[in-house]
Amino acid sequence: MKWLLHLLEAFRPLFEADGKLKSLKPLFMATDRFFFSSPAATRGAPHVRDPLDVKRFMSMVIIGLLPCLLCSLYFFGLRVLAMIAVSYAVGGAIEVMFAIIRKEEINEGFLVTGLIFPLILPPTTPLWMVAAGIAFGVVVGKELFGGTGRNLFNPALVGRCFLLLSYPAAMSKSWIMPGSGLWGRLTQYVKIAEVDAISCATPLAMAKEGDPAPLWNLFTGHVSGSVGETSALAVILGGMFLVATRVANWRTVVAVLGSYIVLGGLLHALFPEMFGPVIWHVMAGSLLFGAVFMATDPVTSPATDGAKWAFGILIGVMTLMIRNIGGYAEGVMFAILMGNIFAPILDEVVIRRRLRRLNLER
Amino acid sequence: MVRLNTEENHITLENVIKEKEESHRADEESAQIPAGTGTKGATRGKLLALGAWQFFYDAHTGSVPDPFGSPRAVIVSSISLEPFLARGDVQIAKRLSSFVRGLSHLQSLLEYQPIHLVVPHMDSPLATRVREAVRGHAWVKLVELPMRHGLEDFSVIARSLGYKQQDESPVWALNVAGVLAVDRTLTMSKPATVRIISIGGPSVKSPCHLKAIPGYPIKKILSDRLSDGPARIINGGVMKGETMDGWLGLDCECEGLTVVPESADREFLGFMKLGGDRQSYSKCFASSVGAGFAERLTTALRGEQRACIACNHCEEVCPSGLMPQLIHKYLYNDELEEAEWAGTDMCSGCGLCSYVCPSKIELRAEIQAAKNRIEHELHPEEVSE
Repeated sequence: MKWLLHLLEAFRPLFEADGKLKSLKPLFMATDRFFFSSPAATRGAPHVRDPLDVKRFMSMVIIGLLPCLLCSLYFFGLRVLAMIAVSYAVGGAIEVMFAIIRKEEINEGFLVTGLIFPLILPPTTPLWMVAAGIAFGVVVGKELFGGTGRNLFNPALVGRCFLLLSYPAAMSKSWIMPGSGLWGRLTQYVKIAEVDAISCATPLAMAKEGDPAPLWNLFTGHVSGSVGETSALAVILGGMFLVATRVANWRTVVAVLGSYIVLGGLLHALFPEMFGPVIWHVMAGSLLFGAVFMATDPVTSPATDGAKWAFGILIGVMTLMIRNIGGYAEGVMFAILMGNIFAPILDEVVIRRRLRRLNLER
Repeated sequence: MVRLNTEENHITLENVIKEKEESHRADEESAQIPAGTGTKGATRGKLLALGAWQFFYDAHTGSVPDPFGSPRAVIVSSISLEPFLARGDVQIAKRLSSFVRGLSHLQSLLEYQPIHLVVPHMDSPLATRVREAVRGHAWVKLVELPMRHGLEDFSVIARSLGYKQQDESPVWALNVAGVLAVDRTLTMSKPATVRIISIGGPSVKSPCHLKAIPGYPIKKILSDRLSDGPARIINGGVMKGETMDGWLGLDCECEGLTVVPESADREFLGFMKLGGDRQSYSKCFASSVGAGFAERLTTALRGEQRACIACNHCEEVCPSGLMPQLIHKYLYNDELEEAEWAGTDMCSGCGLCSYVCPSKIELRAEIQAAKNRIEHELHPEEVSE
């Protein structure tokens, strides 16, 4: 790969301080550092460093999302690829733009946001809505707060929330039947015009009308739902990978699911008409996907262990309430956004207690 | 009178004129020793005069304690876990009788205060031998400490033993080399100026231990010992040591020299590789499922600096129980008082937080700098004292 390195070196002067394209330096640096690791050396103690960097960290999340991505291609077809392409193009362009204005590096975080966002949308969401959603999510959910690492809300969820509130009608009729058979919809590109013929309400919406999908279908993912979250199996596989690599914190995942199962089980036993069966509910909708991929976002979840438990429990309980008592069929998105609001204060409480103890030890 | 002195790793000749002006004070001080403190004072004076006192530390602050003060306790640590530096247990094993004699000399300096001897494994053969040897010395208490880098810092040991910094009298701390120096000066009345240093690191062809005196030219020590290629010479270990100019002389407090190759290799799509050949604290590389192996260390930063992603690795590894990412946040917002409240001054400088940080934030350097600022800006009255 020497030729590529030479090519990059040949173009480098253009982007340096006195080059013609110096304003595009973040873009050049991102390309350069994507292909070749940084040549930087440590300047002081410790003189050696761990090989983990943010690129690797974010790559782990992408790998964790792969099972969901593959399932979504099978169930909902090639349209998914178009949605991802739009999301990456628009989200990436905004990220680059802000990096150039701020004269900062381009952050790898958008690689995750850009992939998660299409996976939490209905499968036939118009592409212009994908673009509008990711643009709103990245600008309002992330860049206005100062970029990755400083955002309060999960940008992908901000984008989805924006779409749901702005285009409720379009969003609610974008659900379709998943593909089946050997190839599923792998070779199809579902057009918007066909949607009416194959549209299909989500299991949670149907359960509200007394027609729940079989548990096995929820497990394999052969149900209607958002692009990447229908298959519980795929989410569990990805989640196990993320927890094993410790990219996702197990406390958050256990707290979200555990609180839902315990409280949901209790309420189901007491008021079976009002609260649905727990295991079915855990597999349905985006609870698993949200618990594994969205609630564990290290930036928008609390930093301390104690607060992570409280954060997870808050999300689990909120989801339970919205799904079973509120007017919406699904509540994970609102629950996690609500959790994001509480994350800093939960951290503050835990940190104060810890520091008080630490200062007693002095 | 000409004396060698250290200043930021440089060996300088002390200002002779100033020395003369203040020489009367030294006379006064030496005159006071026997008068105030009896035979114990005389013994301490001997330690001071023969250079063994430089091996004594105030466990909490890391500075040299007042030789005529009264400590609450003495910590003797046989643990030194910086890679490539001499391990304390190896030094004890070789010179057990001198070590035990040094311990009894230490005891003669004290009234009734305990000596805590920190060993890695209570039931290891070495610990058993040491226990046999110190049997009958009721004042020596063996303490077990896990072999984890960072935990061996004197301030961390002192806190784990329940000695708070705020209490009046200090806790003295020595490592094995210190006890051996005490033995040398008090048994043989010889100066403790010779230090045993380790020469190690990936760039050193034949790692070894050497006896050397401070000021000896580093170039001379390292010539013929290094493999080819650019390398960084570190005074101390890779985690806490400072970069050193090879043209200088050996530092007074030097425990060893570590030489690490400088690497400017750029790997193609490195972050996508499985990583079976990379050792990481995280579990993000294939190596975490395989057997252990030793990776060749270089000075590469191995990534780019980014904003903190709150992965919490720094907090998990901090031996002092701090939250480095929180201190970083406070310092980023220039909230110095909050940073102090968050325990900046309790940082032992082990460097683990910077080591594990995936965003490559210079946490150790930031916190050490903040320590200084807190002393000078928040507590100027104490500094001037």
